Amino acid sequence: MLKKECVAMLLAGGQGSRLGSLTRNIAKPAVPFGGKYRIIDFSLSNCSNSNIDTVGVLTQYKPFVLNSYIGAGAAWDLDRAFGGVNILPPYMGETEGSWYKGTANAIYQNINFINYYDPDYVLIISGDHIYKMNYAALIDYHKEKEAEVTISTLEVPWKEASRFGILSVDEDYRITEFQEKPPYPVSNLASMGVYLFNWSILKEALFEDELDEGSEHDFGKNVIPSLLNKGRRLYAYSFQGYWKDVGTIESYYEANMEVLRSKDSIDIFDSEFRIFSNDIVQTPHYVGAEAKIENSLISNGCVVLGEVYNSILAPGVYVGEASQVRDSIVFHHAKIETDSYIERAIIGEKTEIQSHCIIRAKEKNSSDSSEITVVQDHHIIPKGTVL
Amino acid sequence: MRSVIGIIFGNTRSDLLQGLTRERPIAAVPFGGKFRILDFPLSSFVNTGIRTVGLITPQHYRPVLDHTGAGRDWYLDRKAGGLFILPGANHGLINEQSQFNIKDLALNIEFLEKDVSENVVIANCNQVYNLNYRDALNFHEKKQADITMLYKESEYPGDLEERIILSLGDGQTVQALAHQEESPLSLRPYFIDMFIIRRKLLLELIKGYKTIDKVDILEAMKDNLDVLKVYAFKVDTYIGRIRSVLDYFNRNMDLLKPEIRKELLLSKNQLFTKIRDKPPTFYGLSANVRDSLLTGDCSVEGDIEHSILSRGAVIKPGAKIKNCILLQKCFIGENAILENVILDKFVEVKAGNVLKGSMDNPLVISKRSVI
Repeated sequence: MLKKECVAMLLAGGQGSRLGSLTRNIAKPAVPFGGKYRIIDFSLSNCSNSNIDTVGVLTQYKPFVLNSYIGAGAAWDLDRAFGGVNILPPYMGETEGSWYKGTANAIYQNINFINYYDPDYVLIISGDHIYKMNYAALIDYHKEKEAEVTISTLEVPWKEASRFGILSVDEDYRITEFQEKPPYPVSNLASMGVYLFNWSILKEALFEDELDEGSEHDFGKNVIPSLLNKGRRLYAYSFQGYWKDVGTIESYYEANMEVLRSKDSIDIFDSEFRIFSNDIVQTPHYVGAEAKIENSLISNGCVVLGEVYNSILAPGVYVGEASQVRDSIVFHHAKIETDSYIERAIIGEKTEIQSHCIIRAKEKNSSDSSEITVVQDHHIIPKGTVL
Repeated sequence: MRSVIGIIFGNTRSDLLQGLTRERPIAAVPFGGKFRILDFPLSSFVNTGIRTVGLITPQHYRPVLDHTGAGRDWYLDRKAGGLFILPGANHGLINEQSQFNIKDLALNIEFLEKDVSENVVIANCNQVYNLNYRDALNFHEKKQADITMLYKESEYPGDLEERIILSLGDGQTVQALAHQEESPLSLRPYFIDMFIIRRKLLLELIKGYKTIDKVDILEAMKDNLDVLKVYAFKVDTYIGRIRSVLDYFNRNMDLLKPEIRKELLLSKNQLFTKIRDKPPTFYGLSANVRDSLLTGDCSVEGDIEHSILSRGAVIKPGAKIKNCILLQKCFIGENAILENVILDKFVEVKAGNVLKGSMDNPLVISKRSVI
């Protein structure tokens, strides 16, 4: 019988409501990042680079762009006859069917998918984190500790600890306590939302959780605490490196800007651990005779005739003559016509900013905390608009 | 377009390109920052709807196969049809004039025999263009032609040099094929090294001529011009032929002209090439780039003017690059100055060094040089 050692389940169904109009038309994992990438590229590239070739992608919120982007997974070398990328939307059975009610419920509804590959381990990952991780090292650690569940963790600043699932561990890194978003954290060891389970343990826990009517069917809130209470062997894996949850506009904007200071950020230029994307052929980008570009990332297919400072331009962006783009992120195929000024903004896909527009945060005095203007995708901002 | 297949003679000769073709055939010479010359005929076939393409390989075909793979990036990895690699014959010394050697086809006759298509489009591989053959094919069928030769018109000696001049009769029939006379006085129709031929006729010509060594299909055509229905079809598209270093330099620089860039790279007939999936290009605080084309994965901190950079270039602060073409992964040290230079792949120019060619005679620095 064919089988796989490890199947990855990638949670990509979240609405990402805190990203506001960035996710009005697309799921959060499909939001562009760092110019040509989309957020889900990082998790899928991690799988590819870790030799995990079977990935179930759980989608339910506005999945079209995400599904068409993932396709058969060839862009991440994940197109396989047995295994590969499988998109798993909620479905109807003979008598019942429902939306995914929580992270654990989403996996529960796809137990048959996992059983088909008969894996030893199931890796639960999320489609909205920016990080590079070799999951093979996590699996090795899990085996070495003879763990039943291993949670990947990193140390976060104490003041932010209450935003995360916080763990306490003993000297062997066995988990003694787990609290989801505690108001008064007892430790700063945070869960990254990356869990490795023995499949037999997870399956049993999912069946139990499903029967528990008081449960929110969430890994962090229900499944992990319940396994801990039962005395299962839960271990913490200590991850070293850059990891960012891009759950809010501010953290999303900040993570993008960190790419411009690549030393303390995700290194997209590293050829040893590449981030793959579903790229299409684009022409080289053209920089005009009067253009000026400083401290920016420019993707293929762009045409820059104006000025671009501290900004990230996705493929196919057009910046017209005498226009200025500062401290901004411009998504795929957006068009900025002549004589416009854009500062601290995120411009959506295929949005058109006509000439003589001014888009910037209202309060100029505090540049650090001033708001970020988000212009939704497929919009047309008429000539002369001031936002 | 199931009734048409394509053949690219990927072994077009290229003796005048100096270092650029020392280690690679002209089909694999990089062009326009991210393409290779082969991409142009191949994409034109694909955009015409041709689903079966035979590629005759040059002798040193590693760079060509490295680029094409199984043809996936041109959607030519098919169950029905797709990309077929046809090993070219070992020719030894032949004159440059010969483009479409019958021996190359005779060696791969099975490719033509097992197919059932009515017509074959044949192109050589030293020109850059973005052409849809649909109009030419419709013309070919309407005229019930045996062969349709594609041509352009020009009076400039540079365009006509080493070209075959067509004598046209009524209704676009071809009366004669001739080499160009010394100084033309008016517009001359010249053959642009692409033609459409009935597959069965092609098979007959191969069988009839294969015993003769080194014979060109065009010679076979010439011999039989009075018994065949040979027509000519005029095209108006940009055809950038690359026979010399200067041609290579100028055809690349043509891409900085908006109208040519639009026709060649931004037309609705998309150009396909091997997808590399590299990160975007980073511009540092001291970058100053004007009127240039850049590909992904570059790191720019110096001055660049009127130049074309392939992926992976590193330009250090103070470096000045003007009228240059940089192939993949070149490194230009601080304060180095480059003007009218073509750098092949992996060239490193150390800090402060100066390299200058002229507009008429650009300097070519060969692969992996350290200067």
